[in-house]
Amino acid sequence: MDIELLVLLAMLGVFLIGNLLLKLPVSISMILGAVAGALVAGEGIPIRHLFEGCFTYVDTILIISTAMLFMTAIQRSGALEALNALIVTKFYKVPALMLILLMFIVMFPGMITGSSTAAVLSAGAIVAPILLKIGIPKERAGAILAVGAIMGMAAPPVNIPAMLIAGGVDMPYIGFEGPLFLITIPCAIFTVLFLGLKYCKNLDIEELKKDLDMEVGKKYGFKLYIPIVLLVVLLVLTRAVPKLMPQLGTPLIFLLCAVVAVFTGRRFNAWEGGLEAMDTTIPVLAKLMGVGMFIQILTLTGARGYIVVSCLGWGLVALYIAICTIMPGFGAVSSYGAASVMGVPFLLVLLDTGDQITIAALLSFICCLGDLMPPTALAGNYAAQIVGLKYKPVLKHCVIPFLVCIALAVIYLLNSKYMGFLTR
Amino acid sequence: MKKIPKRIWTAAALCLLAAAVCVYLGITFSSMWKDQPIYPGPGVTAVEMLSDYNPGLKGTHGDTEVYVLDSGKPGAAVLVLGGTHPNEPSGVVAAVALIENCQPKTGVLYVIPRANHSAFTCTDPQEGAPMFFTIETPGGDRTFRFGSRATNPIDQWPDSDVYVHRTSGQTLSGSETRNLNRAYPGSNSGTFTERITYGITELVKQRDVKITVDLHEASPEYTTVNAIVAHQDAIELASWASMDMQMEGMNISIEASPTNLHGLSHRELGDFTDTLATLMETANPSQGRLRGRTNADLVVKGVDKYYVRARKAGSVTVEFTEAGIPLDERVARHICGIEQLCNAYNELGNQETIELGGLPSYQEILTNGIGRYLSPGK
Amino acid sequence: MLFLKYVYLAIVALLLVLILTNMFKKDKFLYQLDAALVIIPLILRLLLIK
Repeated sequence: MDIELLVLLAMLGVFLIGNLLLKLPVSISMILGAVAGALVAGEGIPIRHLFEGCFTYVDTILIISTAMLFMTAIQRSGALEALNALIVTKFYKVPALMLILLMFIVMFPGMITGSSTAAVLSAGAIVAPILLKIGIPKERAGAILAVGAIMGMAAPPVNIPAMLIAGGVDMPYIGFEGPLFLITIPCAIFTVLFLGLKYCKNLDIEELKKDLDMEVGKKYGFKLYIPIVLLVVLLVLTRAVPKLMPQLGTPLIFLLCAVVAVFTGRRFNAWEGGLEAMDTTIPVLAKLMGVGMFIQILTLTGARGYIVVSCLGWGLVALYIAICTIMPGFGAVSSYGAASVMGVPFLLVLLDTGDQITIAALLSFICCLGDLMPPTALAGNYAAQIVGLKYKPVLKHCVIPFLVCIALAVIYLLNSKYMGFLTR
Repeated sequence: MKKIPKRIWTAAALCLLAAAVCVYLGITFSSMWKDQPIYPGPGVTAVEMLSDYNPGLKGTHGDTEVYVLDSGKPGAAVLVLGGTHPNEPSGVVAAVALIENCQPKTGVLYVIPRANHSAFTCTDPQEGAPMFFTIETPGGDRTFRFGSRATNPIDQWPDSDVYVHRTSGQTLSGSETRNLNRAYPGSNSGTFTERITYGITELVKQRDVKITVDLHEASPEYTTVNAIVAHQDAIELASWASMDMQMEGMNISIEASPTNLHGLSHRELGDFTDTLATLMETANPSQGRLRGRTNADLVVKGVDKYYVRARKAGSVTVEFTEAGIPLDERVARHICGIEQLCNAYNELGNQETIELGGLPSYQEILTNGIGRYLSPGK
Repeated sequence: MLFLKYVYLAIVALLLVLILTNMFKKDKFLYQLDAALVIIPLILRLLLIK
């Protein structure tokens, strides 16, 4: 037996014991798993390696934290409630259309930033109360947000796993729009209708109005929406005219808009808002730290190589199975990691089986689905937090959309040679 | 007196612990900030700085030495770039070996051994890479840094979400913003990394460099390994050189620089200057995604059981046996490749010639190891 | 874009203050431990060490 397999088993074993039996937080369990792996491999406790692994997520920490600051700010200013009232009163007559529109709103920040977390925390926070008010159960609403955010992350123009895979084989990130739209849009529409439609066929607007705050919007008028409009404008402009617009970066844009929200609606204590936002964020950030350490030790000890080479060594049919299972499964650790570590070698093996850009796009789509995988389940975690649940019941409702997404991706993968026209 | 609650004590204790970890990590990480010495050989006539070509780099971690090996006789100028990606160690070792051994007979050789100087000061997160590796020389071990693929974030941060290449508008993943070999031709008002490539582009223009060779390595599973990538103007030169390399026993292929992939040295230096722009790739298991345990031994010996398995399973195109692909062999390919590119330039009937002398042959390096040709240090 | 680096360092400093304040306010030890973990990379970035 390879020592690397032993290391892998030790890491997973200690993680599971810590998390499930000892009920330790995911972050601490992952760190214990990483330390166990290093010890089994004879590396001692490599403090430098453990903490170096965390640095991949410094930018992610900033995005998550500032997005939470923004979300808290627009909640406290009243902008969220006002927007909910506006959308429901305008669209309640055509619920299917309303649901699809809401899904696109959830996707939008993900499309622009390439981050499912940013999507859940910004647009997800806006859409969640609407979904709940029209009668969709919490766990289903959470699932809609989680899957919607992932569809946004995978949809063009910005799909970071696709960029990582393309970069790994020196393929320019050009021509990905067609295949990515062709997979994300049907999956998004299916998900929102499958999970939500039966709950909102006969909406009683008068009942709904009782739950909605119809006053705050009237009191502050358009001014209330300025932070949200500013967010959309800044995100779109930095992408649409990158040469004219300074590249402020997503964290700074979120923070600027959060600051604006302090002055455009109900007055609130910004310091307390900030503390509340970070309070809910710290455990998720710590989880990322644990993940960083875990991957670093997987790589250091060779367990990462063991996983990848094992997947590649089983032949083409098994490779497709690995693509459907292990690649999104690796997303439990990191979907970006899955793209870079598994997406690139898998693409190299599949290059001759069809249209290369389509294959790269579909692999990146499957990697994105990894953001639903526990224990990290970035999208699921935050979606659950927004609807006020733990992530398990939410993830349960993601299973069918997840399987449909994977199935559609595999059908496309097997037929990618006919899809080349989409990439021109 | 009011009793201090327990939570304050535990928080303070954890803060102290975090501070201690920070001190330890600070000492560890900063150990990479010091440059390893390079000992100029008999051929070195001057040591310039890249800031001589882009003054904006002066005093920054982007400034780096340019070793000038001037034969004193008229001839063509050649530029060799090592350490564009410091996690591809055969580049920097080959460049150092040139500096310490080469004695040009005609023309001038410029060598930048640490092209992305900043990237030598850190390692990439989640790669488990060693910070240093050593090569045995007759007089003792010589230590080199195994750096990062990209500029250290302490020098250039934050990355934009999407990297938009300045002259072409091409978009790449945001992490490529700090990749030196996506930043050509550069700009003196651009990012830190673009200012470095601007300096290199200026050097090529001001010194009328005829041939540029950018030394790289790639994952063994990558399609472009054991190859010379050449701008369309340099294809003939690369083809001649590759034939001579094959005659010396090397398996080498020629790849045309893709016209739609921008920011790379072979594309932009070829387009924006008169140089014949080439790039050489060897197969480096210590940067591959299929590799097993990652350490300095893997960097130097290049032995990896998972690559052997992947090769047997047909997932890797490059020949990979139990003997591995040692650093000696990868450096030997680079040195021989540079010499053959210069020879081909002369054979193609150019009036100004460049003749490199003093270099060990491919077979000599394989037999004696590259350490034999490195100064033992002081 | 050098000023942007300092803006981002200021954001890191702000987050550090918020995290530390929460750390001292909460009773739960494991939460405090989570916070201590998160501040380490932030401190090293703020000090421009890594």
